Amino acid sequence: MRVGALVLPRKRWEPFAFASPSLVLIAIVIIFPLAYSFWLSFRNFDLSVGPESEFVGGANYVEALIRDSRFVNSIWNTAIIIGPSLVLELLVGLGLALLLSRIGRGRPIITALLAIPAMVSPVMAAMAWRMMFGVKYGAINNLGRQLGVIDVYFDWFSSPFISIVAIVLVEVWHNTAFMMLVLLAGLQSIPQELYDAGKADGAEGWRSFWYITLPLLKFTMMVGLMIRLIDLTKLFGLIFVLTFGGPGGTTETVAFSTYLAGFNDFRMSYAAALSYIIVGGVLALTLVFMWVQRIREMRAA
Amino acid sequence: MAIALDRPRVASRSARTVRIRRAVGLALTWVTIVVALVFFLGPFFWILTTSVKANEDYFAYPPVWVPADASLKHYAGLFTRSSGARYFTNSLMISTLSMVAALLVSLPTAYSIARWRFGGGFLSMVLLVLRMLPAIALIIPLYIMYKLLGLTNSYLGLVIVYTVLYVPFAVWLLVGFLRDFPVEIEEAALIDGCSRLRALVAVVVPIIAPGLAVVALFSFIATWNEFLFAIVLTGIETKTMMVLVTSFTSGGTDMFYGEASASVVLGVLPAFVVAFMLQRYLVKGLALGGTKG
Repeated sequence: MRVGALVLPRKRWEPFAFASPSLVLIAIVIIFPLAYSFWLSFRNFDLSVGPESEFVGGANYVEALIRDSRFVNSIWNTAIIIGPSLVLELLVGLGLALLLSRIGRGRPIITALLAIPAMVSPVMAAMAWRMMFGVKYGAINNLGRQLGVIDVYFDWFSSPFISIVAIVLVEVWHNTAFMMLVLLAGLQSIPQELYDAGKADGAEGWRSFWYITLPLLKFTMMVGLMIRLIDLTKLFGLIFVLTFGGPGGTTETVAFSTYLAGFNDFRMSYAAALSYIIVGGVLALTLVFMWVQRIREMRAA
Repeated sequence: MAIALDRPRVASRSARTVRIRRAVGLALTWVTIVVALVFFLGPFFWILTTSVKANEDYFAYPPVWVPADASLKHYAGLFTRSSGARYFTNSLMISTLSMVAALLVSLPTAYSIARWRFGGGFLSMVLLVLRMLPAIALIIPLYIMYKLLGLTNSYLGLVIVYTVLYVPFAVWLLVGFLRDFPVEIEEAALIDGCSRLRALVAVVVPIIAPGLAVVALFSFIATWNEFLFAIVLTGIETKTMMVLVTSFTSGGTDMFYGEASASVVLGVLPAFVVAFMLQRYLVKGLALGGTKG
């Protein structure tokens, strides 16, 4: 025990006094609203109708998951965007991390430069790219024409498929740097001795990557993927600027369609129910992910 | 004899191929890195040059990639015609106020956790839940509450949300910095008759100032970048840069490029500063959602 602790007996109220400002604020601004929203999700509060509302049981939840094809579609849209984004971010991020770990001089500055997109807000990233995709003045059409790759001004957001491709491209541009930073930190924590030992046993190049780097990086990859997965379920600003859910609602994500239910249609109770479905979905995804991890560990052991 | 002579030659040839292979590998590494730099930074370069182009450059073919004479005309237009000056000030004010408030609220909490082993488990749980919680789940009840309390379209309303959203992250980082701080210095001050609060302000704060700066910068950029709460809770007077920039999309696929690109340049400026100043902390900050708000 420290001398100081003996000399100065602790006052019981002090820890609480020091912690109280943030605890009170969290209770008022986060916990209470979430509870209120849960209560609201079982009512039919609609700002465009009036301040009165009544209890409707689980009607909002039933409507969202069975009758509202728009929301159900938005779940699929979100999944279609998340899948390729996660794969590409992991592969490109891993590639960049491996490259960066091979260069000595200039690594810090290049890492910082590559990390800049991840520091930018989704809205700004989407705005920059939306202008790049611009039909007549955009960099992509102009460059394509100059290089002779395309001969007409192409509208990148006219078809659902190409819109999704464009969203995934911007998303990968925006967040690959995060994967790269996480994996670079993971790579640097692998002790050099393992590679030396591997070399003595004849493991070089691909073999040392496959048998040493990859197994030791697996956990870091899983953590990185998990964080990206959770973040991607919140995809909103990017969609808002890039496509606003179009064409014809084919790029509406769950967060975006909930926003529309709340702040376009003003169906507050319904939007609250949608947001709780999202919370439940994210929670389930997280649990499944952790469960799969556990089974794998048990198999490995 | 012949064999003995042959051996070293073979060895030196393989040494040479190894050297050549290594040089080629290094060259390929650098080529790929340059390609990656062009892909990840190219859009910034294009936005910057677009923001200083003259109007006729937008129509020109072949396209003007680097304008011959740069003009700040679009920035002037953004600041006056599109009220950009006001929205830029709003962003600065809201981010600065939230940053200060988040530090003031989270420092004592972090101190209590670091010194008294109190509530650490609860904190990490709150942090985890907040990390997973979609902002959309919070904005719906908050909007209704703010409407009732008349807090929409005010600095105060946004600053309160941003402060609270940022507190768990700030506390988590600060606890780390405080645990590295030698307790003995602080105890000397306490023995000399300082109160806990005075010891924290006068002794601990000056020494952990660099750590406070890291937290402050992350909270600044998180608030600067935040969009969902900003677009729902702000009105015509309190819009931030993130809300302003979306107003340019109403022009369809070929919007007014000059002012739109100028506002993007101003909007991404803090990201550049922070990426370089906080290199060592980027992983931690990004993993905890420190830049997304």
